[in-house]
Amino acid sequence: MEVEDLGHHISRKFNEDLEHVRSSVLAMGGLVEEQLDRAIKALTDADSELGLQVAEDDIKVNRMEVSIDEECSRILATRAPTASDLRLVIATLKTITDLERIGDEAEKIGVLAARLASVERPSTNYRELRNLARHVKAMVHGSLNAFARLDTKGALEVVKADDAVDEEYESIYRQGITFMMEDPRTISRIMDSTWLARALERIGDHAKNICEYVIFMVHGKDVRYTGLKNIEAEVEQATRRQESRS
Amino acid sequence: MTLPNRWASQFAALAGWLGAALLLGWWFGGSGWWLAGAFAAYVGHVLRNVFLLDRVLDGHARVPLFATRGLWAEIFARIDRVRAKARNRKKKYHRLLREVRESTGALSDGGIILNADHEIVWFNPAATRLLGLNPATDIGNRLDNLLRHPDFVAYLAEPTPEPITVPAPREDVGWLTVQIIPYGKDQRLAIVRDITREVSLERTRRDFVANASHELRSPLTVISGYLDSLADDAEIPQSWHAPVGEMQRQAERMTRILRDLIELTRLESADEGAPPEFVDVIAMLKLIAREFQAAGHRPSVSLKIEADVALLGSESELHSIFYNIVNNAVRFTPPAGSVQIVWKTEGDAAVFEVIDTGIGIPEEQIPRITERFYRVDPGRSRASGGTGLGLAIVKHALQRHEGTLGIRSVEGEGSAFSCSFPASRVAYRGGATQVAL
Repeated sequence: MEVEDLGHHISRKFNEDLEHVRSSVLAMGGLVEEQLDRAIKALTDADSELGLQVAEDDIKVNRMEVSIDEECSRILATRAPTASDLRLVIATLKTITDLERIGDEAEKIGVLAARLASVERPSTNYRELRNLARHVKAMVHGSLNAFARLDTKGALEVVKADDAVDEEYESIYRQGITFMMEDPRTISRIMDSTWLARALERIGDHAKNICEYVIFMVHGKDVRYTGLKNIEAEVEQATRRQESRS
Repeated sequence: MTLPNRWASQFAALAGWLGAALLLGWWFGGSGWWLAGAFAAYVGHVLRNVFLLDRVLDGHARVPLFATRGLWAEIFARIDRVRAKARNRKKKYHRLLREVRESTGALSDGGIILNADHEIVWFNPAATRLLGLNPATDIGNRLDNLLRHPDFVAYLAEPTPEPITVPAPREDVGWLTVQIIPYGKDQRLAIVRDITREVSLERTRRDFVANASHELRSPLTVISGYLDSLADDAEIPQSWHAPVGEMQRQAERMTRILRDLIELTRLESADEGAPPEFVDVIAMLKLIAREFQAAGHRPSVSLKIEADVALLGSESELHSIFYNIVNNAVRFTPPAGSVQIVWKTEGDAAVFEVIDTGIGIPEEQIPRITERFYRVDPGRSRASGGTGLGLAIVKHALQRHEGTLGIRSVEGEGSAFSCSFPASRVAYRGGATQVAL
């Protein structure tokens, strides 16, 4: 499916509806990205006010999810879309759920960042968390770009990046355990920062999910839980088929 | 209708064929057959030329000049001429297009052309670099699908002439300003500029000023303290009284400048609007007016309350707005003059106005007087004890209240400074009693 493929309906209104849903998802994505950005800024700048503000603003993300959800239901009920249109609507419904969860994790990060702002900070100013956050942010950004461009290759890149993020989380977790054993006074702080890393890792998973929906939307193949190798092969095969067709 | 000459040969040829057929028919008999034969031959001749024409139009083959004669030769020659012309024109446009492409490619600012639905029609290489756009996939996609920052999405829906600043979607670029310029029929041009350097310079400058002011304040406190006790010391010789007094005054001035600098940096770095707390403006203005009325050797200060409204904003910031403007008016008005403070409404807006009969400001300097340390008459304003930061503070504090500053002045006759606050910042007295309860 190409972007232009969406332009084939006799009803212009239907087209506009689908285009609108797509843009709304991406606008929601933009909001979620900003929330995540601010939550991480709250962590790096030790800005507890900003962290709590992020937590408060999560309501905006939730409201957007509800409104897009309603719009999708309306399209399903009144237009009975088929084929690629149906896939777009289904992928949208799933994507907004994951975006909303990312929003929730950002809220969590905001609260944790606010709490960490008031206690002593390690001399590295949570370098490993900032690194992890950078990678996760790039994943979210990449997944939304893939959604906007219907770019399955870009989606594949994000899916691949998830393994590295999982490893990073693992090492932060182990490091945290070592620190806590060395000095029990740091336990509450390390617990908080580990929870924060956990939230970031979860965001990576949600970004990966969105990418899988993009592959579903474009190629009509459900690649969830099939392993990276299989996803790679599917995308390769589908792209080749598409090229030979055009 | 007159036919061009070239048709003559065509008619002559046709007439010749028919003439020959008739002649042969008269000689040999069976003129019907001869005529039919002549027509067939003529049609054959025309068909051959049409076949040639078809080939010419199809491919790019040229018909040699000797292959045809008369009208057909002319037609083929004309096709050739038209073709050559078109080819030249195409070449010219190609060159022009290439030049335009090259020049827009060399631009350091990103340019994106959008249609009425915000879909990308064209963009230059700088846009690729700044926004991470992909020329292969992004034409036809909506710009707000790719640049998704909520502020930008809102801006694109309702563009203002002022550019908007957003964090760049790419990691290696920090901050961008984007400006949407409508043109033609439903077309928009988005100009994207990388301002990472400006932002970081601005931040460095602000941090420097803030740190320097803080660091200077503590030594100054020590100096002021000793100067105060020196001034009170009865043991110091008479000749030292004047210098110590002057030192005290200068130290005090320096403290004021530092305090203003710190206040100004704070206002600059706070980017969001002031919190909407209830501020009883009338009581505040009464206090300010009383303060200036009390001192002697000053112009008379009067207060006129025309509207019973209050504001929603930051109390300390509103105080520094009002205080600084009144203080300025008093300082630049001779003792015989007058200063009038007015609090009124204009439509939905609340307006604070200070009218003086002072020395006024030359018209060409009005736009510059809110710059920090800008002085219309350096000697005079320093003598009157100003820090040079008052109006800069007013400007920034007003911005945080979405207010606007208006300045009218006639040199030698006086000035009027007015601050207008939008309806969203105005609270009515009813609100005051509620809050008071």
